[in-house]
Amino acid sequence: MLHLQPQNILIQKTLSEAFDALNKGTSLTLDRIISDFDYTTFHVSNSPEDKSILLLSIRTKAWQSVQKCQGSIGLLDYLQSKYQGCSGAAISPQPEMGYDLTLQITLSQLTGESLVQLSLLKTIVLSYPFQLAFDEFAQLSSTPVPVEGTPPVSNTLHTVQYRDEESLFIKPASDRITVIFETSFQDETDKIFGKVFLQEFVDARKRNRSIQSAPQVLFSHEPPLELQHQIQPRSDPSKRFVTFVLFPRHFQTQELQFNSVAQLILFRNYFHYHIKCSKAYMHSRMRFRVDSFIKVLNRAKVDEEDDSKGDSSVHAQPTRRTITGRKMVY
Amino acid sequence: MSQSLRPYLTAVRYSLEAALTLSNFSSQEVERHNRPEVEVPNTSAELLLQPIHISRNENEQVLIESSVNSVRVSIKVKQADEIEQILVHKFTRFLEQRAESFYILRRSPMPGFSISFLITNKHTETMKTGKLVDFIIEFMEEVDKEISEMKLFLNARARFVAEAYLDQFVY
Amino acid sequence: MSYLNNPAVVMDNGTGLTKLGFAGNDSPSWIFPTAIANAASSNAKNTASSSSTGGAGLAASSTGGSSAASNPYFTNATSTTNFGNLTTASLMSNNLSGKRGTEDLDFYIGNEALTASQGANYSLNYPIRHGQVENWDHMERFWENSIFKYLRTEPEDHFFLLTEPPLNPPENREQVAEIFFESFNCAGLYIAVQAVLALAASWTSSKVVDRSLTGTVIDSGDGVTHVIPVAEGYVIGSALKNIPIAGRDITQFIQSLLRERGEVDTSLRTAERIKQEYCYVCPDIVKEFNKFDRDAEKFAQYVVENQDKTRQKVVDIGYERFLAPEIFFNPEIASSDFLTPLPTVLDQTIQACPIDVRKGLYNNIVLSGGSTMFKDFGRRLQRDLKSIVNNRIAETERLSGARSTGVDVQVISHRKQRNAVWFGGSLLAQTPEFKGYCHTKKDYEEYGPEIVRNFSLFNMV
Repeated sequence: MLHLQPQNILIQKTLSEAFDALNKGTSLTLDRIISDFDYTTFHVSNSPEDKSILLLSIRTKAWQSVQKCQGSIGLLDYLQSKYQGCSGAAISPQPEMGYDLTLQITLSQLTGESLVQLSLLKTIVLSYPFQLAFDEFAQLSSTPVPVEGTPPVSNTLHTVQYRDEESLFIKPASDRITVIFETSFQDETDKIFGKVFLQEFVDARKRNRSIQSAPQVLFSHEPPLELQHQIQPRSDPSKRFVTFVLFPRHFQTQELQFNSVAQLILFRNYFHYHIKCSKAYMHSRMRFRVDSFIKVLNRAKVDEEDDSKGDSSVHAQPTRRTITGRKMVY
Repeated sequence: MSQSLRPYLTAVRYSLEAALTLSNFSSQEVERHNRPEVEVPNTSAELLLQPIHISRNENEQVLIESSVNSVRVSIKVKQADEIEQILVHKFTRFLEQRAESFYILRRSPMPGFSISFLITNKHTETMKTGKLVDFIIEFMEEVDKEISEMKLFLNARARFVAEAYLDQFVY
Repeated sequence: MSYLNNPAVVMDNGTGLTKLGFAGNDSPSWIFPTAIANAASSNAKNTASSSSTGGAGLAASSTGGSSAASNPYFTNATSTTNFGNLTTASLMSNNLSGKRGTEDLDFYIGNEALTASQGANYSLNYPIRHGQVENWDHMERFWENSIFKYLRTEPEDHFFLLTEPPLNPPENREQVAEIFFESFNCAGLYIAVQAVLALAASWTSSKVVDRSLTGTVIDSGDGVTHVIPVAEGYVIGSALKNIPIAGRDITQFIQSLLRERGEVDTSLRTAERIKQEYCYVCPDIVKEFNKFDRDAEKFAQYVVENQDKTRQKVVDIGYERFLAPEIFFNPEIASSDFLTPLPTVLDQTIQACPIDVRKGLYNNIVLSGGSTMFKDFGRRLQRDLKSIVNNRIAETERLSGARSTGVDVQVISHRKQRNAVWFGGSLLAQTPEFKGYCHTKKDYEEYGPEIVRNFSLFNMV
């Protein structure tokens, strides 16, 4: 597996199982936890009144910071608009206890399309600040640039704290949108592997012509200029900053917007997944090496069978054994 | 093989061959004990020989400490940068984890070295000395090769992964 | 740290099936064969999987509710044997064929592996044999994909509960720890013995009064049946017994009966379905034969669904309904090399244990695994074992003249029996104490892999 999928296949599977069971006339009793990256937990359960209605709740680390993002449209309204066209799903006015958001799913009205939409719930929640940035970009870029002077500048900076140690920042401007990831590593090996990987992210675009149109990637130890008034410089020396510069071509249409956002949200997971994969690959290599070293070492061993044969030919005497089969030692 | 590697390995080979003349030797201090003299704090200097230090450069060294019934060979594997450092560390730890099947591998290296072997008279009695030396020399060659291959792999994989990711943004 | 709120991941990798899920759930989220399909060679032909790009993966995989039934992703197969119309399935593209140096990413696991291996480019491997991991390279990748693709978790944020068979060498545990802590950096790890988890799963049964970890576990899966005595959380390894009769043998026995009768469809798949849907354990074979002869209602018919649904095949089901599970109790009807009935093996096992735990072992016999799911299996086992025990007691009383206080024999079956091991793991891993019993990444770094040789037991009240 090279790419991580933006949708959660376990949600897909659980819901379609429930759907099938309902069609067969035996509705499933569900009370399940499903997890996703970055401290995200889903809860699928039956509605207390009606078994054919499911409740899908989400709790995610990023919720609080996403909720704080200010923009032209509120978070709930945004989600409402996303799930409006989604048949069989509606946002429940009151989220389940301990969860951030609850969707009501009417199983009988579920379609393939809405199933996918539901399994993208986490991505959609996180796409909200990106959507705000896209909107602001549209506004900024449409204001005419004064002949003399600088183009309009935005002071907005959306912060999404999606993990304990790491946040991502989104800054719209009139000609671009900058997305900055904080990264930090717990593990010594990961730190060094991570450095190699990040360096390649920076260099990839320069080296490979076919991906010239991808967003520009920058990597720095110091917080980039966009963040400087936000974060105390070198507040945490182990933190690194990865900046993606999105140009208008990356978010021209709704579809491109969604694609870009889905990939960006998975950036950290993708990156860590591959660090782990390369460690797993190295383990395979090392296992192979160990085997080959042991083979070499075993060549050094004096073969006892050979010895006894050699002996017997010299002394012309068969090896004597006791009645229990042990060799006689003289 | 580069110019200076061959003389280095030859030096190690000859020194090892000379050092691997071991004989059974019962402990002088504890009755009915027979222990590798190179490993125990030793009061009797006559059991220990002068250690031999072979050094190609400051990153690649071999220390051969010999005694009457055991030889300890410590190898410092080339580590040019922090990537190689971590790879060598991972690799040697992986080997030490499987020391059981390596017979002569020491579970922890001597301070300042990457990996250590302990060869006792028991080993030289059941294994051919020449082949043991071959093993250590081959080990030294292969480790360097393996580390550089892993480093190359890491870079290649990182590049591939980065390009694959960015490729998704090409519309 | 907020990973404390994340549910622990429970993974039970068996010889045939792997069960994956989160602690606190009542059933595993994923059940699929422990199989991995690796790219056969580096010069793999550029076939099939290069049509859709990563971004379009959405569209490719938008399997709707209605089509889900025919899609192997979404079926929780209960069999290890490869069934289902897998040929029609579409694999998610991973765009890797033909790219050099990335062969280690080009593989599928579970049901997808079965699908992929039908093509020429992948070869199928089962990394676990006889309960123990044989191929660590494959197992590591199997876990990698389980975690990132199927469970979608960042292992750094979760605690893991893994299972191991009884008598697993400690070196294997160390290998597991090496993989989980070094490759995956998992937050914490607990490795539990399957039999102990099966005991814990029985706590849900109303028959269980005290939550003790003493009892005998009968674990019958697809390949082999284990009888495992456990005393206070420790497996009594010297007394453990294996029986070479399990699910697969029952299926094959049914198949042979169908063949003898010359039924229209005698495929392994049909036999398997008959086993799952129609078989039960009877109290007495002779009486059951008579019942069948008197009452035609007992005979059943199984309709084989044809793929194109043009012709329906009807298979009659007769005596195999009760004969098939009977091979546990009278093995001579199916096998010629293993002839000891299960209750006798069970009795021998317990008799081989230290005398002071035997009462507890007789009193708490717990069933686990799919092949113990037959109706009345537990009841029959209890009856047969009781008669063995009572005969012995009577004999002893006759010879010694002393009165015995009697031995209570109790076989416990419960609703979670099929995935008892996984469920037991889920129960234990959701307790607040669980994380305290785990070894954390920090412990591992301080002490090294040998730390996993010991785990403290759950002592639940």
